[in-house]
Formats: sequence, C-alpha cells, structure tokens
Amino acid sequence: MKIPLLSDSISAGFPSPADDYIEENIDLNEYLISNPFSTFFLRVKGNSMINSGIKDKDLIIVDKSLTAKPGNIIIAIIDGGFTIKRLSIKNNELYLKSENHDYPDFSFRDYVDIQIWGVVIYSIHSYL
Amino acid sequence: MKNKHSSTEAIALIDANNFYASCEQSINPNLRNKPVVILSNNDGCIIARSPEARALKIKMGIPYFKVKERLNRLGVSVLSSNYSLYADMSKRLMNLLKNYSEKIEIYSIDEAFVSILRPKGKNLHPWARKVRCLIYQNLGITLTIGIAGNKVRAKIANKLAKNINSSSGIFDLDRIDNENYYLRKINVENIWGIGKQTSIWLQSKGIKNAKELRDMDQEEIIKKLGVIGKRLQLELKGNKCLPIEIIKKPKKEIQVSRSFGNPITKLEDLTQALAIYAIKASAKMRSQNLKSSAITVFTRTSHYSNHPYQKSAHKKLINATDNTNTILKIVVALSKEIYTPEYKLSKAGVLMQDLTTSKYLQQSIMNYESLEESKKSIRLMRTIDSLNKKFNTEVITWAITKKQQDWKMNRDLLSIGSTTDIKRIPNTTA
Repeated sequence: MKIPLLSDSISAGFPSPADDYIEENIDLNEYLISNPFSTFFLRVKGNSMINSGIKDKDLIIVDKSLTAKPGNIIIAIIDGGFTIKRLSIKNNELYLKSENHDYPDFSFRDYVDIQIWGVVIYSIHSYL
Repeated sequence: MKNKHSSTEAIALIDANNFYASCEQSINPNLRNKPVVILSNNDGCIIARSPEARALKIKMGIPYFKVKERLNRLGVSVLSSNYSLYADMSKRLMNLLKNYSEKIEIYSIDEAFVSILRPKGKNLHPWARKVRCLIYQNLGITLTIGIAGNKVRAKIANKLAKNINSSSGIFDLDRIDNENYYLRKINVENIWGIGKQTSIWLQSKGIKNAKELRDMDQEEIIKKLGVIGKRLQLELKGNKCLPIEIIKKPKKEIQVSRSFGNPITKLEDLTQALAIYAIKASAKMRSQNLKSSAITVFTRTSHYSNHPYQKSAHKKLINATDNTNTILKIVVALSKEIYTPEYKLSKAGVLMQDLTTSKYLQQSIMNYESLEESKKSIRLMRTIDSLNKKFNTEVITWAITKKQQDWKMNRDLLSIGSTTDIKRIPNTTA
C-alpha cells in the first residue's frame, strides 16, 4: 500500500538539496482506515449495487466498530452468506435495499435472521 | 484519575471461547451456528470445536481418521488449521482489549490478564458486559471474563463464569456473599499453578478444592511446595503476589519444527526442511531483537514407527548472531550429522538457544575486523525482513528453499478465509 513520494537513496557527492523536504510515504491504510483492529476487506461478487458505484470485483473496506445507520451501505448476513446492501427506511420500517432495479430488496420482516456484520466505509475499483 | 483513592485495582482474566472455530465462523457466515472442527498440523487430530460440534460429543484430541466417517455423517465442517487467521484475530483482540483496560498481559493466543480500576464497592459487571459486546461486534468472538483482585482468583472466576450457566460469561469473585460455596466448586487440579503431582499430593492430604487449599495449614504448604505454594495460597486468600507482566520476558529459546506430510529419507530433503526452519527462526529472532549463540537441530521418526530413531546435533558460537546466512551454513552442516539413510524421518526442527537481546550485545574482539561486513549484512537482513513483511509472505528467500518440497505439511482442508491475504479475503454477494 506504500507509494514512495521521493527516493531517499543518493549515491555520493553533494547532499541532495531536496533532503530537507523528504516526507513520509502516502499510506493508504492510514488515510482510509481509522479503526485498523476492527476493519476487514471483502471482495464484491455481483451487480446489485451498481447504482451506488459499487461494481463486481471491487474491493470493499468494512469497519465493524461502527453502528449501522439508515443510509449506510452495509454487509449483512442472509442465508449463510455475506450480502452488500444499503440500509434504508420505508414507511418507518428498516429494510435492505439493492441499488439496481433488477435485484430484490430484503425486509427484516421476511428474513428474521438477518444480521448486520459491518458498515462499508470505502470501495476500491480498478480501472485497468 | 480523580477516583484514585476510592478505587482499587482489579484483575480480569479474559479468554475467547472456542477461539479457532470462532475465527473461522466470524469470517465465513456459512459456518455460523454449525458444527465445525479444526485439525492440527498435517490434519492429524481435532484441536478445536465449535459449541455445536461439542454438543455432538466430538472429542478433543482424537485422531481425524478415527472419526472421519462419523463427522461426515453428522455434516460437521472439517477445517485444517489456519494459523495466520488466528494470529491476526488474536492481534486484533489484544489491541482492542488495550483500549478497555489499564494494563494488559497477553497470556496466550486467546487469553489475557488485564487490570482495571474498581470504583469503591462497585461490581465490574457493566464494564465486562461492555467489553464482551464490543469484542463480539468487532470480531464476532465471544469472551469469558473472570474478575477478582489477583491473578489466581481471576483464573478461578473465569472458570466459574464458564461453568455457571446463568453467568452470561461474566463472574466477579470479589462481589459475592457466599465465596466458600463457589471456591468449593473448583477442584484443586483446576487451580492455576497446580500441576498433576501437586494435586495428587494435595488430595492425599484431603485437600480437594480451592476453599480447602485456601484454608490449609501454611507451614505444610511451604514445606512441600516452597515459596510458590505460599504465594498461591496467599493469592487464594485475596493478597496480590503476582503482578501483571506487561513486558514479555525474552524467550529463552526459539524453536521452529514441523512434522512432515510425507516421511523424509533423503539427506537433501532433510537439509532443505531444516534450512527453511532456520530461515524462519532467524527472522523470528530479528523481529524480537534477539541473537543466538547456540544452535541445535534435531530429527526423529514417527512415534508409531517400528524402527524408531532420533538424533540431534549442536553447535556453540563465539559471537551471537541473527544473520540468516551464518545460521544457514551451520544448520546445513549440522543436518549431515543427524542424518542416517535407513530411517523414515517424520519430524525435524531447529532450536536457537542462549538468546541475548541484541541491543546489549557486545562485539567480541575476535570479531572486530568483520564489523564492516556485519554492518552490511545487518542492512541486508533488514531489507529482506521489511520486504517480506510488506508483501506478507516470503518474497525474498534463499535458493535452497526453492526445490520442490515433497515433504511439506498436509493442509488439504485449509479453510479458504483470510483476513491478511488479499487473494483469500471473503466474498460478498451483491
């Protein structure tokens, strides 16, 4: 995850005039993750969240220390598997919403054993 | 801080229930609420069970081949052990516990003593409930928390928390009225620090449980068990003798040993295996700032072999070292000494002994001329360690490890889940 900003190796001769300006690497772990001991990575399989920008094969960062609020994208456990959905409210009732019209929503009333596993904080998409 | 005078230090022993199985269930929802067993290295024996597997009366330690069919019939999920997952979850657990305690002593992969302040006269159930909830939410792991004024009693409280159904995994031994009743429930052999021999002796004296040991004649204990026994009894009575040890004592030796998936008969295979263990052991030493000045290698046949054999070889060094190159040369030479062609070797290992902290190490005069050389090799080792750490695997290693490893450990049923390897992270349906 480390991207070097400036090289710190210099062969000989005059000291580099840039020496005083060398900074630490940009550390994406540090930038993206505030609770490292509660944070997990998952891989997305499927297209049900496309309208929210989350696509098949994306890397998802989940923070389990956060308490899910309506509007959050969350990882739920349904039928023994992880599912990514948006936690939403309709008519005063919580449900899990797909962000793609071809996929169903899940109401807590129909699926009594839904568990919320964690809150999605970032998705990482490769454009290559 | 303002409560300093009105509060006392309490000690909690916190451990994770069915830790290995819980780790697997935590990142693989398909295993939740199902019977799961974990096998030892080489898929030999059952070393961990989920509560559901326990309820099916599947025994701990039983060889896998003996129960394979029964497990199949019962629909039990069988997994090879996945130590990188358990180590990562343990690191997460201990770091989260740090936020909720004054001091922490990591006691094992799934167990820690922590100290907390007890406001005067208060019980610590609210604190313990909070810690349990938090760890369950963050890691999917259920804890048992035993609280008392010292370590021996905290261990007992933890046992009581496990054995009493109504405890919800929490027991505060210093906030109950009928202590004798509970101490009688703890047999002497289950008290922390009482070994098998001691418990036989105690029972011959009519001492069967923690209450009776607490009230036993002190002189008699000291005569037989010395100061250790005296301390143990004092802790049972409520005195504090054993402090929380935050700083880990440096290990006396580092061992890397494994059983082979297939027995070894060729010298080159034995040498290669030992070389790989030597590389691991050297990196382990460097990560703990340790150097070794005595190296032992050993090998043996299976315990069930009709032609048993075991041999070890040892070398003392003038200068303590943590340099993989130096250690490899020695280990490769020693491997020839322990090899005999006619045996099927099933296990081998490398031991780094006489460990010293490299910070305080003095270069001996004999080594003076090679100081420059040694600086160079320190740099090289550091680079290799940091690259391997960065990529989470041995990206850089020694040529000897690259030959086909026919003898490598069997882990046929390896659980797919990982929290540390991006190629094996869990999937989520979208």
